[in-house]
Amino acid sequence: MSSRTVITGIGVVAPNGIGADAFWKATQSGISVLDRVTRPGCEHLPLRVAGEVRGFDPGAMVEDRFLVQTDRFTHHALAAADLALEDARLGRADYEDEPFSIGVVTAAGSGGGEFGQRELQHLWEQGPRFVGPYQSIAWFYAASTGQISIRRGLKGPCGVVASDEAGGLDAFAHAVRGIRRGSRAMLAGATEAPLAPYSIVCQLEYEGLSTRDDPERAYRPFTAGACGYVPAEGGAMFVVEDEEAALARGATVRAVLAGHAATFTGTRRPDEAGEGLAHAIRGALREAGCAPEEIDVVFADALGTPQADAAEAAALADALGGHGRRVPVTAPKSGTGRAYCAAPALDTAAAVLALEHGVVPPTPNVFDVCHDLDVVTGGARPAELRTALILSRGRMGSNSALVVRKGPSAPA
Amino acid sequence: MSDRLTMEELAVLMKTAGITVDPTEMATRPDSAFDSYGLDSLGLLGIVGELENRRGRALPTDADRCKTPGEFLDLVNNSLMTGA
Repeated sequence: MSSRTVITGIGVVAPNGIGADAFWKATQSGISVLDRVTRPGCEHLPLRVAGEVRGFDPGAMVEDRFLVQTDRFTHHALAAADLALEDARLGRADYEDEPFSIGVVTAAGSGGGEFGQRELQHLWEQGPRFVGPYQSIAWFYAASTGQISIRRGLKGPCGVVASDEAGGLDAFAHAVRGIRRGSRAMLAGATEAPLAPYSIVCQLEYEGLSTRDDPERAYRPFTAGACGYVPAEGGAMFVVEDEEAALARGATVRAVLAGHAATFTGTRRPDEAGEGLAHAIRGALREAGCAPEEIDVVFADALGTPQADAAEAAALADALGGHGRRVPVTAPKSGTGRAYCAAPALDTAAAVLALEHGVVPPTPNVFDVCHDLDVVTGGARPAELRTALILSRGRMGSNSALVVRKGPSAPA
Repeated sequence: MSDRLTMEELAVLMKTAGITVDPTEMATRPDSAFDSYGLDSLGLLGIVGELENRRGRALPTDADRCKTPGEFLDLVNNSLMTGA
């Protein structure tokens, strides 16, 4: 059996596009879609700018009986899972006879805040008899994994990673493990919907949350104007398969999951976080059998506070040596917002698309970089890309790195 | 009695669980399982809660264990009669 695990399908629900093609078109153009928060009940809150998914009609993609029992973050996940399976051309007929061979793993950081808020309002306004039974499952971090599994009939190993934002990368590592243990495919990824009033109030105390009201200035990582990040919703799901199994069924390999590592540096220790991130990068390179010089592009975590940006630049210099100052670094999320666990999932989608197109997408709203990094700004930069490094940090101290390699050329 | 549960009202309640059914059709086969309509146990629990709120009284504790619309209507309407 092949030891390589590959991505064969990508499904995206992002503030700048639904579907991988629309997402890539917007991402490589470098247009920012950050805008004022328009969600009902959020008008009076100090968070002014976010990345909302506006073009998404859940009812057009998901059946009513799944919609009524799930939160918006799960609507995103169900739709993204459909898009990923469709992209991988993996239909129910392909696995009906062996439903236990395909599993699901997602990462989630904020859970079902909108659904939970609505039910808690019923509780306070009308009493416990008016709280619907689906509250018991809809808010829960594992809801998306469970509902994807039920709706698509996927009975293989299922899990949810709750390791903060970096969980969006750790989900890939869990999927790879699932394949190594005998699953033929896994659906993996992360989606979030943290823009309900209750969810926003929870985030107000987050260090680094930007409350600036100018969409062009609210999230500018790696610049002297760095003032934190703005949140976003949406995310991405992927079909991950054993390479041999994928090729045997005639699937197109979009990318190879080459290496991953995660470290934990504890809460409120930002000084150690850079070291932890460097350690994660080294671990991912080691697993991938990849020299620092082989990294052709870095999708940065880009938290957007001066201290965190400096720590990330230091981590790249530490783990990649001199190459850390020369390798193109990008953070497309400065144009869409930071969707917590879904942020590195969206970055992974962008990285695979960048490898396929030979283009590094730019970092929107960033022009005046003040770190010793080659941040791609302004327009997209054509480049020969074979290997990408994706980084993610959680606010509670998790740090993860993922190395993704270009797939074999698609058949003509 | 006006507060008897009908297939029409049950169809409206099932809509809250995301299930669209034709009440006339459901009446012709009252013994078809809720499962076959796609209604799961939490969905039925939600319908029981909504019905209790609408009638302002509790239903028997096993109401949410009914397997079919016919069984559910019988149990609810018997309970409403004896409670009246």
